Amino acid sequence: MTLIEVMPKAEIGSRHDKKNMETSMIQDTKQTQNYRLEFFGKGSDYFAIMIVNWLLTLFTFGLYYPWARAKRLSYVYSQTSLNDDRFHFSGTGKEMFRGFIKVILFYMAIMVLFFIVLTVSESQPLAVLVLYLALFAMIPFAIHGSLRYRMSRTSYRGIRFGYRGVRKVFVQNFLKWIFFTIISFGIYGAWLQVNIRRYTHENMRYGDVELSNDASGSDYFFLMLRGYFLTAITLGIYAFRWQSEIFAFYIDHLKMNKGQQQITFRSTATGGGFFGLLFVNLLITVFTLGFGTAWADMRTQKFIFDNIKMEGDVNIDEIHQTEEEYTDAFGEDAVDFFEIDMA
Amino acid sequence: MMASSVDAKYFDGQSAISQQITVVFHNTISELELRIFGGISIVWQLEDLQFERYGSLIEVRNRNFPGAILKIDDSTFIEEFYVAMKRNKRIDIHTRLLSLGFLKISAIAMGLLGLIVIAYFYVLPPVAEKSAALLPVSVDKEIGDMFMDAFLRENDIDTTKSKYLEQFASEMNLKNEKPLNFLVVKSNEVNAFAVPSGQIVVFSGVLNDMKSSDELAALLGHEASHVNQRHSIKMLCRNLAGFMVVSLLFSDVNGVMAVLADNAQQLHSLSYSRAFEQEADEQGLKILMDNKINPNGMVHLFEQLEKESKISIPKIISTHPLTAERKENMRRIIAATQYEVRANKKLELIFEQLKN
Repeated sequence: MTLIEVMPKAEIGSRHDKKNMETSMIQDTKQTQNYRLEFFGKGSDYFAIMIVNWLLTLFTFGLYYPWARAKRLSYVYSQTSLNDDRFHFSGTGKEMFRGFIKVILFYMAIMVLFFIVLTVSESQPLAVLVLYLALFAMIPFAIHGSLRYRMSRTSYRGIRFGYRGVRKVFVQNFLKWIFFTIISFGIYGAWLQVNIRRYTHENMRYGDVELSNDASGSDYFFLMLRGYFLTAITLGIYAFRWQSEIFAFYIDHLKMNKGQQQITFRSTATGGGFFGLLFVNLLITVFTLGFGTAWADMRTQKFIFDNIKMEGDVNIDEIHQTEEEYTDAFGEDAVDFFEIDMA
Repeated sequence: MMASSVDAKYFDGQSAISQQITVVFHNTISELELRIFGGISIVWQLEDLQFERYGSLIEVRNRNFPGAILKIDDSTFIEEFYVAMKRNKRIDIHTRLLSLGFLKISAIAMGLLGLIVIAYFYVLPPVAEKSAALLPVSVDKEIGDMFMDAFLRENDIDTTKSKYLEQFASEMNLKNEKPLNFLVVKSNEVNAFAVPSGQIVVFSGVLNDMKSSDELAALLGHEASHVNQRHSIKMLCRNLAGFMVVSLLFSDVNGVMAVLADNAQQLHSLSYSRAFEQEADEQGLKILMDNKINPNGMVHLFEQLEKESKISIPKIISTHPLTAERKENMRRIIAATQYEVRANKKLELIFEQLKN
C-alpha cells in the first residue's frame, strides 16, 4: 500500500458518516500483514564456530580475536530471518582489529594519565578517581560509536540499517541523565534507561524506515518497583513474570514508520516461557561445565525472536537504501573490551 | 567446459525488492554473469565475492557492489561454485576448518586441549622454575619485604621471644645462603611461615603446643628449606606462567569458563606446593640429622599439628599437604637412614625460655 492509496481513504473518512469511517478502518486493518521473524541458529553449528575461533585465536596468540568476533556475529545475524530473508552482518575482522588497536591505545593513554596524576599529586585516591572518570566519560562515546558501526554493518535484503544519533547531543544527554541518577540516589535510573533507549531507537533506521519508541520513564519505574516487591513477596517466583514484563516493555513500545505506514511490535513472552528458557539454560550450562553455553545462547536467541510479533502495512519491497557505510569499529570494540552492557 | 546457468534471486542494494534473474557461471574465466531483466548483464569476478551457505541455499555478495545479494538455491551449482571459490582462494581458513564438520573439529580441539593440559602440568613447572633461577635474588627481597610490611602492620611481634628464637636458630646450621631473620608473632594460631626475603615467622600458638626443642628445630629446618630453595619465587613464576596460559586458552570463551579456569589454577598451585612442602620436609629432616638433633622431632611436630584440626596459613605463602601423609614420609626416611643424636643443652635451655 502506497501513500497515494492512503489519501483517498482518509478523504472518505472525513466526508462520510461514522459508519462509513468504521468500514474504512476495517479495510485498513485488512491490509495490514504480519512479518515472520525466525531464528534458525543451532547449538552445534555455533559451538563449531566457537571451537574454530578458539583454535585460531590460540594459534595467533589472541590476534585472531576480532576476526573471531566477526564470525560469531555474522553467524547469529545470518540465522535470523524476516519473511524468509536473512539478516547479514558485514563487519569484518580487519575493521574490528583496527578498532581494537584504537581501544588499546585509548586504554594505554588513560593508564599513562593515571600514572602521571599518581606521580604528580602522590595521591592514590585522586589518581583512581581520574582513572574512573576517564573510563566513565568514554562510555557514551563507545555506545554511540558501537551503534553507528553495528547498525551500518547490519543489513537485510541488501538495505543497510543506520544510526543517525548526534554524538555531541547523546554524550551531553547521557551525562545529564547520569547526573540526575546520582543526585536522586538511583531513582532516576529508570528514566535514564528509558531515555537512552528512546534516543538511540529514535535515531535508528532501516533504509528509509524509521524506528520509534514511545516508552515512558515513569511506567518503567513503576514496573521495576512493582516487580521488585512482588519478587520479594513471592520469594523469587515472580522474577520470571517480571522478566517477561520487562521484555514486553522493551518490545511493545517499538514501532517502525515509513511515512504513514507503520509496523508495530508485540511481545508474546510469558513468565512460564522465561522460566523454561532460563532454567533449562542453567541446567545445560552447569551439566556441561560451561561447554553447553553455545546451545544455551542459541535457545535464548530463538526464544527472543519467537516471542516478537510484528504487524503493519509497510511494504518491504518498497524500502530504499539511504544509510551511509560506517567502518570505524572503535565503539564496537570498546563496548566489548570494557564489557559495557548494551542490552 | 560449458558455462552453466541457473535461476537466482537478486537484490540490487538500492531497494529491498528482489528480482528474478538468470546467472551464468563462466567457470573457466572465474566469472558470474548476472542477466537482469531487460537485457542488462553485470559481471561479477569470483575474486571479489564472498558467500554464505545455508543448506542448499547460497548467498553471494560482491565487495564492489555494497548491498547487492545473489541468492541461489541449487545444489549442483553450489558444489561447482565452492570448488571455483576455493581455487580462487576466496575461502578463508575459518570456513575451511568449519567444513571439516562438527566431529572432526571437536576431535582436533579435544586433542589440542589435552596437549595443552599435559604441557601445563608437566612442561610448565620445570620451565617456570628454570626462569625463576634467572630472577635475581633481589626480587625475593622485594616481594618478601612487600608482604612483611603488610603483615607487620596487622600483627604483634613478641620482641623478647623473637630474640630467643634468633638465639635458638643461631645454634643450628640451617644451610642458608642468605641471612635469615626470626620473629615470634603473638597469636593463638598454630602456624609458621617463611618469606622469600628470609624472615621466618613463628606464631606463639605453635610454640605453646611444642613439647621439645627437637620439634622447634624441625620447624625451623622446614621453613629455612623453603627459603633456601626459593619456593615462593618458583611458585610465583609458576602461577604467573599458568595464568598467562589459562587466559590465552580461554580468551574467546565466556565467563563460566573463566571461573572454571580460575579454579583450575588454584587447584593446581595447591598440588604444586605439596611437592615443595615435601621437599622442605625432607631438607628440613636432613638439617636435623646434620645438626645431630633427633629427627623424630619432625614426626612429633606433625603429631602436634594433627591435633590442631584447623591449620590456617597465609595462602600466598604456602598450602600444606595432608599432615598424616607427611608424617608417614618422615618416618619412612628416618627408618631408612643412619643418624647420630647428641643432646644439645643450649637448645633445650633456650627452648625452655621460649615456652615461658
